[in-house]
Amino acid sequence: MKTAALLLMGAALLAAQPIDRTKPPQTPPLAAYKLPPVIERTLPNGLTVILVEDKRFPLVSLRMDFQAGKKFDPAGLEGLSEMTAALLKEGTRKRSSRQIAEELASIGGALNGFAASDGLGISGNALSEHTSKLLELLADLVRNATFPQEEVNLRKQNRKQELAAARAQAETIADEKFFSVVYGKHPYSRMLPTDASIDKITRDALVGFRDQYLAPNNAFLVLLGDLPAQADLQKLLNANFGDWAKKEIPKPAAVPIPPAKRQLVLVDRPGSVQADIRVGRVAVNRSNPDYFPLLLGSGVLGTGSSSRLFLTVREEKGWAYDVHTEIQPHREGGIFEVETQVRNEVVEPAVDELLKQLRQMGAAPVSASELSTIKNFLSGVFVISLETQGGLLGQLSGVRSEGLPTEYLEKYVTRIQAVDPAQIEAVARKYLVPDQDTIVVVGDAAQIGKALEKTGKFIVEKSPQ
Amino acid sequence: MRTLLIALCSALSLLAADPRVPIERYKLPNGMRVVLSPDNTTPVVTVYMIFDVGARMEQKGRSGFAHLFEHMMFQGSKNAPKGMHDKIVESNGGFLNGSTHGDYTDYFETLPSNKLALSLWLESDRMRGLDITAENLKNQQEAVKQERRMRVDNQPYALATVELWPALAFRNWGNSHSIIGSFEDLNAASVGDVSQFFKTFYAPNNAVLVMCGDIRIPEAKKLVDSYFADIPAQPSPKAPDLLEPPQTAPRWETTKDPQARVPAVFIGYPGPKRRSPDYYALMMIDLVLTGGDSSRFQLDLVKGKQSVIQFESNLGWPFGSFTDYKEPGVYGMNMLHNPNFNAKQIVGQVEEQIARLQKDLVPQAELDRIRTFFRSYRMNQLQSSNSRATQLGQYELLDGNPDFINTEMALYLAVTPEQIRDTARKVFVRQRQTVLEVVPAPEPAKKEEK
Repeated sequence: MKTAALLLMGAALLAAQPIDRTKPPQTPPLAAYKLPPVIERTLPNGLTVILVEDKRFPLVSLRMDFQAGKKFDPAGLEGLSEMTAALLKEGTRKRSSRQIAEELASIGGALNGFAASDGLGISGNALSEHTSKLLELLADLVRNATFPQEEVNLRKQNRKQELAAARAQAETIADEKFFSVVYGKHPYSRMLPTDASIDKITRDALVGFRDQYLAPNNAFLVLLGDLPAQADLQKLLNANFGDWAKKEIPKPAAVPIPPAKRQLVLVDRPGSVQADIRVGRVAVNRSNPDYFPLLLGSGVLGTGSSSRLFLTVREEKGWAYDVHTEIQPHREGGIFEVETQVRNEVVEPAVDELLKQLRQMGAAPVSASELSTIKNFLSGVFVISLETQGGLLGQLSGVRSEGLPTEYLEKYVTRIQAVDPAQIEAVARKYLVPDQDTIVVVGDAAQIGKALEKTGKFIVEKSPQ
Repeated sequence: MRTLLIALCSALSLLAADPRVPIERYKLPNGMRVVLSPDNTTPVVTVYMIFDVGARMEQKGRSGFAHLFEHMMFQGSKNAPKGMHDKIVESNGGFLNGSTHGDYTDYFETLPSNKLALSLWLESDRMRGLDITAENLKNQQEAVKQERRMRVDNQPYALATVELWPALAFRNWGNSHSIIGSFEDLNAASVGDVSQFFKTFYAPNNAVLVMCGDIRIPEAKKLVDSYFADIPAQPSPKAPDLLEPPQTAPRWETTKDPQARVPAVFIGYPGPKRRSPDYYALMMIDLVLTGGDSSRFQLDLVKGKQSVIQFESNLGWPFGSFTDYKEPGVYGMNMLHNPNFNAKQIVGQVEEQIARLQKDLVPQAELDRIRTFFRSYRMNQLQSSNSRATQLGQYELLDGNPDFINTEMALYLAVTPEQIRDTARKVFVRQRQTVLEVVPAPEPAKKEEK
């Protein structure tokens, strides 16, 4: 994909370079890399199909997404979307669960359902000689799933065990509480189901959810790899999805995302030898003009081992093994957060330091070297993610599921390179404001409760188990 | 004999169309082995260094030292002071890491390919000399202890996996001590230990360098020469004595885990010699039992009996896999199970599955299915330069033959139903069984040692 001219230039620079070991060698700039061509078409029934050719390996990868993620779960039935996704491959009108598993293994393939906040989907891959079979199975799963009663029972039982195992980890408790506090009444606040909500899920509810949301006009399909010739592929798509009927999709009542405000919660987990800390708030989605400056600002503060938080909290103070920031871009409004785990004795100075570093982001522009570090980092990570089919699939599906055009990826690196320090400072003053941040700490209240009083008045809650 | 030939032929014809990973392999005069593998489709390169030293080579009283040393590799070298390594790789858009295993320690940088020279500069600079100071050591002792608190002491099943399991499955200290190490041993490490370890094990003749991805062979060779050729070799280190006394009776231990909420059973049997016929057959057994949704554990235990919730298994579990396994080791299975069943019942169900393998031949259709499943799995592992480099480095270090990345699939596909049955009879012997039962016991954790 890279142009010959650029390659030759790189070679010349390398050859001409004398070896001076005292300094890092000079290297040419990052070559411009064009994404492989993305072909997009829509079938008459409204199904959007996105195709990318990649002949390096005899493999194909695909993902079909519906706007039917966890936020569409009716109140009290949390877990319905994820269970619908999980059970798609456990029986259809044409195949038993066992047949599906065996046929998939026979094509060197997999198909797995998942549910995120916004989207419900199914992703998979196979040896490319079996592309036609993979599409046939995908169509059978999304169109004909029957949710057999014994599979529903088993899934409910095992999901409760999985949740118990997940909630045995302080990290899960912290994430769950953080989401529930910052998103308030918005359905994004319900990250995980409860035993009670799982108990209420019935086969009828699953069939109903599927009938309501799994329709071609509510979906897109990304298919990439060593694809059949265009005409053959079109035939396959028509045969498997052409007669799939369009449907009226109900629009759930819009719930506004609550404004960011300071809320302090301590989840008591007796016996914890360390404290899990989350500091953050609701921020923006990827179509917001503030997104790129915030992504870079968040990166300077807490992405990677050159970041401010890593250098202070981990390297200078030695308080934490890991400390990092995250931007999670949900379709209706993402979150910004700082995550770390510190030992009990230093919980208060650690929280104080996080708040100090957040404040600092809006107090002065980031340095030129911090800026170039984060720009090169984000651009490089992006290019590297395109090395595998799974990486490209994730990038394409990710932007589409948030309602963005695929050309978003074409412009990604350019947009990152265009951000300046003033923009970062401006978004920092808007979003990295400690007074508006929610703080969730999970730890042994008897050990850390007193120290945290210096930060403010924490509501103390019991650990879920 | 005829069926064997047919099986082999069909297996090989399947492979004929598979892409070949190109390999150029040579040795510098100082003994450093080099493996180059170009693929110029994406402008990405991985530089991977693997050293012939791991936790199993640690001295008694220094558990965790190989891993502590791995941390010291990021504390600065002659021309790249502390922090520079991470900063250079990240500021150029790459990612890097190091990891410590039982039998080796490895490091990589994956970068946009225009930055190849930077990566080699960094790797060669730290091979020439590390910044070993009391302050850096102290700092990393604290970092490792915090890593232990986070990953071991505060995680369900972790103590059982990292410490209790090797201690139960092995008798030779070299095999039975934990990779992460005890607080006491970590505290005891001295600056002198670090220098000696570096000199002995991080010499060029104890290392393999792999470059994979968007490289051109002539330039790549020139760079390797400029950066590494004049680093002096050192006397070869002595191989550790890892011999295990033969196990003559089954072992069963029960541990209470205050952080776990769901019971688990670990089951293990001593594994065969790497690359022996039993090794390939055991891989196929592992696929029959645990490979994907149509595996016997999934269909019979998770679905049929509804006794198991999740399972994982590997040769060398929990830290190793078929790819990097070296004997003596254990084929281990971890079964997270429904609390309505007790550990004895779960072990009994696994034993029933094993007995079936020992009695009946795996049907041809099932074997064909898992072969395709496995071939696809391995093909997926070839996609990233990082994964190819890791495999090439491990094959070179452990087998002296990186071309296994292209050829070993045929060896797996040639395993017959009879071999599977015979290997099952050989490996899964009751008197060599080890079981660790992890019982959830919600209660405050006990205080850590300082």
